[in-house]
Amino acid sequence: MTVGKITEVEFGVELPAFDPDTSMTNVRRFAKAANWMGPRFTDHEAARKEGLPGALVPGIMSQGFLAAMIHRWAPDAQIEVVDTVFRAPVIVDESYHITGVVTDVDEETGKVEIDLTVTNDAGETRVFGTATVRLPR
Amino acid sequence: MILDLHTHSIKSDDGRAKVVNYCQWIRTKNLPIDGFVLTEHRQFDGESDYSTLARQFGITILKGSEVETEYGHVLVFNVTAPLVAEFDFARIDLSLVRVIEACEKHGAVAAPCHPGRKRVGMCAHIENLGVPKGVKIVEIYNGGSRGDEDDQARAMAEREGYLGIGGSDSHIVSHVGRCATRFPAPIGSEAELADALRAGNFEAITYRNQAVGD
Repeated sequence: MTVGKITEVEFGVELPAFDPDTSMTNVRRFAKAANWMGPRFTDHEAARKEGLPGALVPGIMSQGFLAAMIHRWAPDAQIEVVDTVFRAPVIVDESYHITGVVTDVDEETGKVEIDLTVTNDAGETRVFGTATVRLPR
Repeated sequence: MILDLHTHSIKSDDGRAKVVNYCQWIRTKNLPIDGFVLTEHRQFDGESDYSTLARQFGITILKGSEVETEYGHVLVFNVTAPLVAEFDFARIDLSLVRVIEACEKHGAVAAPCHPGRKRVGMCAHIENLGVPKGVKIVEIYNGGSRGDEDDQARAMAEREGYLGIGGSDSHIVSHVGRCATRFPAPIGSEAELADALRAGNFEAITYRNQAVGD
């Protein structure tokens, strides 16, 4: 279900969950487009040599997934801020789940705040944050 | 009475939750907690007054702190002006034993939190530093724990004879109430919370991986 106007948004509503494509193929495609072709993002073995548990999904790609989830829910939303805290690395080729929930609604300004959480299959929070979006009144 | 003993608001550098939204969330989602303690990082927020919010939502809102020691992070309950004068809450290299001594001197309670976590948890430092003196309570359920961190915390608590508390360690609104602590009697102030912790009659609980509320 999508929303179009601020009056359609209720406190506590969950956005449709989203499982991002964190495959190496997709990450390499993103890294090339973003000019972030470092081996720590595109090569598991090279990343492990740097002491990482595997190749990392770039932070800006994770933020892009969060923005994509918001726009799936509210195509006309203007995203003002996506503010993330990376608690643990997001690893390429592992499964993740993104959830979002509305935690503040200001009908006067049209602003909505959304809690965002990226978890792995074990239910561990890898990334959390908030987004501030503006919807038409 | 059930209190989430470990939460952060926008007063913490990595906190993203407004206190009013915590209250709205608890009520909207019918969370089975009666209140929460704001334990902001490396500070005590003596200025904010949440009494109006507490009355409006019928939720107990208390304030504490989360300080940093050589054994990792430590929750401090019943912070008073004399305690604030005892040590610099902003430092990241406090002595755990001195924090505990200062707390005991001023009627506060110190409890190492997320002890199973790498670097910032107590378990990781015991091998090098030994078992610290004076610890009586540790956080055994933390809403932000990963892997076996809570298992390590509970094993250490059992081994050393520590009592266990629970807290969500929430930094965003929707994470509040994931873990908490049950007390047998109502608690209405920071001093009453400290008394209840010293009495030792409480139980850590976790709601992680459970559907709570509606």
